[in-house]
Amino acid sequence: MANNPMQQFSVHKIGPEIKIAGIDLSFTNSSLFMVISASVVLLFLFLGTKEKKIIPDKIQLIAEMFYTFVAKMISDTAGSKAKPYFPFIFSLFMFVLFCNMVGMLPYSFTVTSHIIVTLIMALFIFIAVTIIGFAKHGFKYLSIFVPSGVPAVLLPLITIIEIISYLSRPVSLSVRLFANMMAGHTMLKVFGSFVISLGLLGGWLPLGFSVALTGLEILVAFLQAYVFAILTCIYLNDALNLHH
Amino acid sequence: MTIPEDFKTRLKIAKSKIKKKILSDNEKSGSFMGNAFKLGTELVAAVAVGTIIGFILDNWFDTKPWLIIIFFFLGAVAGILNVIRTANQMQKEE
Repeated sequence: MANNPMQQFSVHKIGPEIKIAGIDLSFTNSSLFMVISASVVLLFLFLGTKEKKIIPDKIQLIAEMFYTFVAKMISDTAGSKAKPYFPFIFSLFMFVLFCNMVGMLPYSFTVTSHIIVTLIMALFIFIAVTIIGFAKHGFKYLSIFVPSGVPAVLLPLITIIEIISYLSRPVSLSVRLFANMMAGHTMLKVFGSFVISLGLLGGWLPLGFSVALTGLEILVAFLQAYVFAILTCIYLNDALNLHH
Repeated sequence: MTIPEDFKTRLKIAKSKIKKKILSDNEKSGSFMGNAFKLGTELVAAVAVGTIIGFILDNWFDTKPWLIIIFFFLGAVAGILNVIRTANQMQKEE
């Protein structure tokens, strides 16, 4: 079982079993690593903003870089109207990024490699964006399902297609993050087990692959956090700036 | 603060240069692979959602297999629409 590449994704309980109203709320290794990631984000940002030097040291520079990176991303994709949502998108980006990055450490657990975690985040974004859209525009928000310049005969068909396309947002958002993280980590584990089974003679080639894949995985970890955040911005843009 | 004016402006210019460079580098690598992943899942997700809607409606109206077939194709159309939209967006960014 030690060579099973999927074993790294197993969730198990840590500490006592907690049951409230028939729902299992026990603390698992998944929750532990969520807490770790969130604490690392908090610690990092606390250290980065503790001393506001004019000439920043390394950690302050990195913290400021993240800030400008997210701020630029929001203003580029969703415009100035999305400014109030900066804290949400920033924390979302940092949380996903650090979950992915903490998952890259050996013996750790990748929270985002479970679809339930990413789906809940995506559904939260989806519902929030829908509520924001209705709150800003009222029932006029439904006009995103009716593109302009469509002949009346095709209108029902196009509307159904638009609704399916709208509903597919949380699915594509969550599946993308989850699939990338899970596939990458499985691949790393498979190549790692090749090194062991081929031994000292043949193990060097998969070892090289493992090193290369680790680099690639760190890129993917950043990229997926970026894509997750930028798609949130794009959906927010659709809800805030209604134009079709 | 006893920092001379000259140093301040130089610092500002240097900072903005560095940030711009890092940002554009990130975007370059991001647009490469991120977009490839984006397009793939966009298509699959819409087909899946369409099929699930068809399945649920079939169970409601007792019209098995028809609605699932119709909604599968509608989902495929929606998926292609999504891909075209994402591709357009990508072109606009460049």
